[in-house]
This record gives sequence, C-alpha cells and structure tokens, in this order.
Amino acid sequence: MIRLERATKFVRMKGISKPIINDVSFVIPRGRSVGLLGRNGAGKSTLLQIIAGTLELDKGRIVRQGKISWPLGFQGSFQGNLSGEQNVRFVARIYGVDTEELVAYVADFAELGAFYKAPVRTYSSGMRARLAFGVSMGVRFDYYLVDEITAVGDTNFKRKSQQVFKERLADSDVIMVSHSAATLRDYCESGIVLEDGKLTYYDNLEDAIAVHERNMTRQ
Amino acid sequence: MYYLTTHIRVVAALVVRETSTRFGSKPGGYIWAFLDPASHIAFLSLIFMAIAHTPALGTSFPLFFATGYVAYQFYQAMAGYLNSAVNGNRALLSYPNVAPIDTVLARYVLQLGTTAVVAFCVFTAIGLSLKTPLTIEWPYIIEAAFAASLLALGNALANNVLFPKYPLYEKFYEIITRPLFLVSGVFYLPDTLPHPAQEVILLNPLAHVVMLFRKGFYPEYRAVGYDAGYLYSVAFSLLFCGLFIFTSSRGVLRGR
Repeated sequence: MIRLERATKFVRMKGISKPIINDVSFVIPRGRSVGLLGRNGAGKSTLLQIIAGTLELDKGRIVRQGKISWPLGFQGSFQGNLSGEQNVRFVARIYGVDTEELVAYVADFAELGAFYKAPVRTYSSGMRARLAFGVSMGVRFDYYLVDEITAVGDTNFKRKSQQVFKERLADSDVIMVSHSAATLRDYCESGIVLEDGKLTYYDNLEDAIAVHERNMTRQ
Repeated sequence: MYYLTTHIRVVAALVVRETSTRFGSKPGGYIWAFLDPASHIAFLSLIFMAIAHTPALGTSFPLFFATGYVAYQFYQAMAGYLNSAVNGNRALLSYPNVAPIDTVLARYVLQLGTTAVVAFCVFTAIGLSLKTPLTIEWPYIIEAAFAASLLALGNALANNVLFPKYPLYEKFYEIITRPLFLVSGVFYLPDTLPHPAQEVILLNPLAHVVMLFRKGFYPEYRAVGYDAGYLYSVAFSLLFCGLFIFTSSRGVLRGR
C-alpha cells in the first residue's frame, strides 16, 4: 500500500512554480496494477519519483509499505563510466540480493553480448533500456515503477520481456506511466488520472482512459 | 535497524564502486596513489637540502617533510575527494536506497584507508633508510589523522550543498584555500616563527594537526602552541554546520 497524506509538490523552473500535486490524500491499494495518465508535463514522472522516494514532498507525507523499485526509465540510473556488469553488481549490493546470480540473470536477459563488459556510456538508448529492464526484473519488488519503458528492443525481446514482466505481476504490482493506452491495457487493471494537481482513481482502467481522453480534447 | 543495514550495505557497495573508478581507469592504477605523495616529499626534500644544512627537527629532511606533508594530506586529499562526492555519484542517487550521505561516507572510508596505507608505506621506506630506527607514538599519529579527516568531513558536507547552489562560492573557495599548504606549517615549525606570524598561523587548525602528527615521530618535539581544545572546537563546529546544511538541503542534493 502506498498512501499520500495531504501531499503537495511544486516544481520550480526559472522562477515559475507550478503544483504537480496539490494537497492530495490518496491510497494506492496493494494488489492492483495501476496506469498513470495525464497530459505532457502534468508531472507523472515527478509523481513516480515521489513514490520511489528520490524526491521529497514540499508538504504532507507519504507512507510506503512494501519494497518499491526505482523508477524504470530510458534515462537510466547507470553510472556511465562503469560497465553494465559493474552497474548490475552495484544494484545487487544495494538491494542485498545475490551478486553473481543477478549478474548471470541480466547477462542472459538483456542480450548485450560483449557490450555487457563495456562502459554504459557506449550503449545505445535501446541497450540501456534493456539493461535497466533486465536488472529490475532480476530484483523482486512489491511495486515496479515503470516510466515508458516497456516497448524496447526488437519483437523477440519485447515478447520475452512481456512474458517475464507478466510473471512478476502475479505477485507484484506495477505503477506505470505510458502514453499508449494499449500498453496500459496490457498490464494494468486500474487507472489514475493526474490533472491540474489532482489525482483521481478509477477502479476500472477503461474509465480512466475515457476521462483522460476527454481531458485531452478539452483543450 | 532495517535502515541501518541498508545504509551499511549501500556504503559498502559505494566503496567498491569508487575503488574501481578511482584507480581502475588510469594505467598504473594504484601506483599513482603512492607516486604522487612520494614525489612531493622528494621534491621538497631536494629543494630544502639545497637551502639549509639541517631540518627544523631531527636530521632527516625526508622525514621532516613527510611528517608535514602526510599530515596535511589527511586533510587535503580527503577534502578534495569529498567535495565532489554527491555530484560524482549523481546517477546513482536515482536509486531510492542510495542516500546522499552514503556517497560522502563511502568516500570518507576509502580516502582515510588510502591515505593511511600511503602513509604507512612512505614512513616504512623512510624508516628503513635512516641510520637510527624511528621512535613512533601511535596515539598522536592516529589522533592527528582523525582530526584532519573530521575537519575535511565537516567542510565537505557543506560544500556538497553550496558548490552546486552557488558556483561563485566554489571559485571563491578555490582561491581562498589555495595557499593553505603554505600556512599549515608543513615545511617549517610554527613554534619557531616570530611573534605576530606565529599567532596568525596558529589560527589555522591544520597547523595544530601537523604539530600533533609530528609529536608522534619526534619524541623531543614539544609542539609549543599546540591547542587540542582549539583544534576540536573548530573541527566539531565545522562538522555540526556541515551536517546541518547537508541534512536540510535534501532537495539540492538529489538534483532538483
């Protein structure tokens, strides 16, 4: 369960300050995979970072129960001058999982070949995303936070990652940001719409998608 | 308890990571950690041997400069390395498990270990080259190294916040601290300076660190003017301010 209590977060950019969430109290229940919808710049990624704990709220508090992943995204959380393998070792160490096991798992999953031992800065963005996806699937979390990452790699890799991800979702939940309604339908049952600093939860994803699409035509 | 074990795990992982990037990328690796101070000490010794007949303490120029330089390095190498701890690990902070303070602590541990090993090798080499064996008082040496590292830690905790926030301050800091080496009593004894100069030099806590360190190698050295109370007041005030600034600026440290 993830609970926001009167949470407020502003983002400040060059003197302009804009509320991402404004005095929001909210519960994301355990056992539901949730798609996060909102227009560009509404603050979906920021909200994921708040849930992960890498961003502080300005006001209010957040209560987390369960193990939550870091936000999986394209930009990646990798150290560029370390190899993919070294980055994987680091993740294994900080999350206290077996190092060799994770290294072997990701080597098999991400299909990086010789690049696995090359510095991450030499990777293409697709390779980074495959590495990121592989590492996170190798560590068990209660919640996976996913930021537009599921559609990476060729068809073969996509099929494989979908399969593994769906296996994980048997006992984990996902909080997913995606602009593609089809991707959300694939993984999520419920939806949250983020609009004007307010969060609205819909038990049925279809309702959320409908509301989101209405929001988008409004402007 | 869970939080503590996570911190320990993360710091350990960061130490491993820092070790591989710090020395692994250059050809020669670890050798540089030793070659750098050794060459400094050799240079200083050569220059001063040409100027004077005997050093201010004892009879060995290399020992005199090594005691000064290594004590100074316990501060300087630490401060330089810690100042970029958070910034150098920026990408890793996107893991919620990794707290900004962990990056500082990891570098602290690694640097203290590195300087200690370097010091041990330098003094073993000098000791073997001397005719009379070294008489060493470990408590003074360990205390001085520890005090120096605390000064650096307090300083760096503040700088990790202030450098990214105020780039102008970073430039200012660089200019102000550049002559630090000259006013820390590395290649002279503050005790032997004429009166107004001595008082000024003794305002620098590092001068006290160097004096304390030398007491560990020269039993006859009285270190007139050494003031433990002053040294630790400065060290702990800096540490307190540093921790205060660091803990109250989590937003800046995470890069938002």
